[in-house]
Amino acid sequence: MADTTKGPASPADIASPTIYLDGIPHEGFAAIREVDGLVWHPYGDQGDRSGFWAVTRHADVREVSKSPDVFSSAIGHTNLWDLEADALEARRSLIDSDAPDHTRLRRVVSKAFTPRTTRNWEGMARDIAAELVEDFVADGGGDWVGKVAAPLPIKVILAILGVPTEDADYMVELTNYLVEGTGEGTSLPDDAYGNTTPTRLLPFNSPASHALYEYAEKMRQLRMAEPGEDLVTGLLEAEADGERLTAAEYRNFFQLLVFAGNETTRTAMIHGAMALAEHPDEWARLQADPSLVVRAVDEVIRWASPILHMRRTASRDTELAGTPIAAGDKVVMWYAGANRDPEAFDDPYRFDVGREDNPHYAFGGGGPHFCLGAFLARMEIQVLLEEMLARDVVLAPGSAPERLASNFVHGVSSVELAVA
Amino acid sequence: MGGDPTGDGSERVAMVVDEDRCIGIGQCELLEPDVFRLGDEDAISRVVDGADLPRARALELVDRCPSGAISIADA
Ligand code: HEM
Ligand code: SF4
Repeated sequence: MADTTKGPASPADIASPTIYLDGIPHEGFAAIREVDGLVWHPYGDQGDRSGFWAVTRHADVREVSKSPDVFSSAIGHTNLWDLEADALEARRSLIDSDAPDHTRLRRVVSKAFTPRTTRNWEGMARDIAAELVEDFVADGGGDWVGKVAAPLPIKVILAILGVPTEDADYMVELTNYLVEGTGEGTSLPDDAYGNTTPTRLLPFNSPASHALYEYAEKMRQLRMAEPGEDLVTGLLEAEADGERLTAAEYRNFFQLLVFAGNETTRTAMIHGAMALAEHPDEWARLQADPSLVVRAVDEVIRWASPILHMRRTASRDTELAGTPIAAGDKVVMWYAGANRDPEAFDDPYRFDVGREDNPHYAFGGGGPHFCLGAFLARMEIQVLLEEMLARDVVLAPGSAPERLASNFVHGVSSVELAVA
Repeated sequence: MGGDPTGDGSERVAMVVDEDRCIGIGQCELLEPDVFRLGDEDAISRVVDGADLPRARALELVDRCPSGAISIADA
């Protein structure tokens, strides 16, 4: 069935995964931001609810984020394509729930990710970063993704979860397959990793999710037998409102943390390093004044916009930016657009490590789903920059990046950088 | 609304956290560690006894709390 147009047609395509092979279509986002009200963007072939309202202005992203009762996370899905009801239930996690479920689930983990708790992991993260940077320099550069940006966040989140470090490579492999599911579909056969579940019931439609579930179960049994100080033990013992997590909630949580805790931060570190290699003057500024590093971290994150969009679904008829929206319509917040909105940022296309006023929405527009790992991610990026500064590492461009065909993660699978 | 005799947002006001809405992000404690403190056990934010802020800053905190849990305790 063809898609029904509900409003002014989008002046640009921002949803086809393959356009992201050339990077974020910033000109397209600018054209959409400039249209009064919202534009309707076609997508897929799921009937008259298939397309979506494209929300690309900073102020509008904020409004959607802050109105979770009108713009629900629990209906349809939080990515572009709708899930069937049974699949949504099987896959549901923190990120696709509304209050009161969301509040209960979020409280199970919130303690582990506060700014104060996050500081406890700084030393561990710094040691990992220092070793990776030293190896990268000793090798005279190379693939920044494989050598630094991928291993750092995964090692940190696995240490927090209590997963043995020797399994880190396996976890990276699995999450790489998950990201494919946001692009042109998975390259794995349905029965990979011994999977027998229909893939539409699995996160990212990927058999790699089955493998992650199995691994979560293995960890559960391990920690039930022998509790530790780690987050898996915490998840298993956590009670919120007198209730423990169900088995499905636990494994979806594990899956979410392994994915959200590494792919995103990796992406920020990749675009950050590429930007610093391309703008040596900005790196020199940071070297001259290391106190700028806190601002540089947020500029790297704004610049990268690792998560390109999150979706909500209208729970009732409403209005946004003067455009009427019907109950059931998809409303998609494009952080990639909001983070270059000239209404919110001076000179938005400039990479400015000293940017003073930087209200970016890379971690979400400030509603209750605001990124759980925001402080953790910032800390990791900060220690990485500091360890590079401490060694006077200067990056220089190497090869062009291999980008992912994904409209969800601003991913790069490899990029050669040189050490100047 | 309480008055703001000076009109420049410098008047000091007390704040309250709605414990049922707080989801323990810690944005408040990060911005104003002397005013907000997350519980060690439950990571729910509470206002430190007697702490207050200039109204303008208080309004900013209200705005920065992702879950809308902070409000100004107007007399
Ligand atoms: C630079 C790195 C990161 C970026 C750009 C990022 C981005 C995001 C975004 C855009 C959201 C959705 C916000 C919304 O819907 O309003 C989100 C949610 C989330 N993030 Fe992150 N994230 C990053 C790192 C992390 C890390 C390190 C973790 C590890 C724990 C993490 C865990 C989560 C979780 C669990 C949620 C769901 C929260 C909820 O629904 O309540 N993220 N993140
Ligand atoms: S910022 Fe809001 S949600 Fe976060 S801890 Fe403070 S009161 Fe709670």
